[in-house]
Amino acid sequence: MISLEQYIVVSSLLFAIGFFGVLFRKNTLVIYMCLELMLNAANLALIAFSRYHGGMGGNLFVFFTITVAAAEVAVGLAIIVALFRKRQTVEVGELNELKN
Amino acid sequence: MSAEIFQKIAETNTWSWIMPELAMGLLALSLLVLEVILPKVAHGAIPRIAILGQLVILGHVVTGICTGTLPVGEAFGGMLFFDETGQLFRVFFLGASIFVSYLGMVSLDKRTLPQVEYFHILLVITAALMLLAQANHFVMLFVALETATVGFYILVSYFRHTTVSLEAGLKYLIMGALSSTILLFGIVLLYGAGSNPALAGSSEDSLNFGNLAGFLAANPDDTLGLIGMILVISGVAFKVGAFPFQIWIPDVYQGAPLPTTALLAVSSKAAGFAMLLSFSKVFSALEDWFYPLLTALAILTILFGNFAALTQRNLKRVIGLSGVSHAGFLLIGVITARTVDWASIAILFYLFAYLLASAAVFSVLVHLNKDDDSDLTLDDLGDLAKKNGFLGLALAIGVGSLAGIPPLAGFIGKLLIFIAAFKAELYGLLGVAIVGVVVSIYYYFGILKSAFFDLWKFQTDEEEVPTAIPGIDLGFLGKLAILLATAGTLLLGFYQSPFSSWLLG
Repeated sequence: MISLEQYIVVSSLLFAIGFFGVLFRKNTLVIYMCLELMLNAANLALIAFSRYHGGMGGNLFVFFTITVAAAEVAVGLAIIVALFRKRQTVEVGELNELKN
Repeated sequence: MSAEIFQKIAETNTWSWIMPELAMGLLALSLLVLEVILPKVAHGAIPRIAILGQLVILGHVVTGICTGTLPVGEAFGGMLFFDETGQLFRVFFLGASIFVSYLGMVSLDKRTLPQVEYFHILLVITAALMLLAQANHFVMLFVALETATVGFYILVSYFRHTTVSLEAGLKYLIMGALSSTILLFGIVLLYGAGSNPALAGSSEDSLNFGNLAGFLAANPDDTLGLIGMILVISGVAFKVGAFPFQIWIPDVYQGAPLPTTALLAVSSKAAGFAMLLSFSKVFSALEDWFYPLLTALAILTILFGNFAALTQRNLKRVIGLSGVSHAGFLLIGVITARTVDWASIAILFYLFAYLLASAAVFSVLVHLNKDDDSDLTLDDLGDLAKKNGFLGLALAIGVGSLAGIPPLAGFIGKLLIFIAAFKAELYGLLGVAIVGVVVSIYYYFGILKSAFFDLWKFQTDEEEVPTAIPGIDLGFLGKLAILLATAGTLLLGFYQSPFSSWLLG
């Protein structure tokens, strides 16, 4: 039997991997995947808490976060594609038009 | 879950209470319909219809407040909580949205871009923010916040023919999504802590603000709850642009279309403070952590915002960074709300003063006739006062109010916060805040100097003819908008007793 703590440790690890990925990776698409990883870490923790503590609140919340993530991806990928068409790159280091 | 719970939820579904939000949603949809059914020549009327519709909704809310018929209490099974503060935030977001609609109208008219979608998304964002200010449950809060945030991503990158707008959109997207996930993970941890049946005060619906506050009061040293609180505050600190989560502000403010910059500066910031005000009740049991955290944020935010703005030449970056320091002053207000019970009113007053001043400043900037408003620098103001005295005066009043010059509304706003801080005996914070105000005078007057005394500038290149602002035509709406913003700023500066007594009463 997997305990609640193990689930939470895994989800915290996923969250941390995603977080540091966002901070240190250079490719916009990889950064975007890291963000999705963080959202899914939150989903995993929600389900685990909901399962072990009883109550449906966590399960319900997951549907909302999935919907929100989908909306975010739809808009986000559109922006990335539009930017790629203009600049032919999605590397963060090369996107530097906004400077003082 | 039994039938009684569903029955109870169904009974509290008081749809009439969220009429303003519903009306905003319907208005947003009807704009899209109008675009299809109206002939092309009549499309120019759609932004005006949007503004008119919002004015009607604003009138509805304001009369509701004035006649005291506003609903008070929980609705939708505890998802929403209606009180006077929430109503005032509704007025605030509606007012901001009307001004941004006007700015959008002027700004989009100069470009060949789809127009109606801008107003559609703007109205949806405003409706979401109005619900956000009245959320009483973390699920409601998260969904409302994300509705607004995803809308912001689109509005920031709306000028998709320019790289800067898209780049700002991408930066906002990454940072916004990051902060939302941090907030979400914090909420998840709070849910996990509060739903643990082994602990006292736990409940099945542990994301309800009241239930969570009860749980935290019973278990103030719960580690999971504490980490959750810190993550939630970090997520909100991003929205208000508090240090160290302010890194996105200068770039995004610069690259975003001018109306979106105004919306980010005013509505997004106010939404963060609406959330912080409700969190200060939820986390009151964790005050040993909550308030020191906010104090540190406030000090760093004020110092960073003001000193970083000193060296900027780009107008939108200056406004963005000055907005960071305003967030710092408002954080002081949230901290003083712990002991001074009228501090939340001071915060609202400050926000309204900030709204009016920003409206004045942005209405002037939008008329500067720059093709690309991302490189609007101080030099572009050159001799504005001489070319159009009305705009110059409006800019002076707006910037003066942002700087906190008496007798303008911004001064009273800062004064109220400082008095609250003095009463709460937060002398250290007060000292930092005053240093911040003194520093801020420098860059605010830099703006005024380039608008009024451009003749003093060294003429480095004799051949360079200063590009004159080609005859600014404000139009009736433009004059009205600027007049409203400046008159409101002056009025609240001279005569705030009815406002405050009405708020207090």
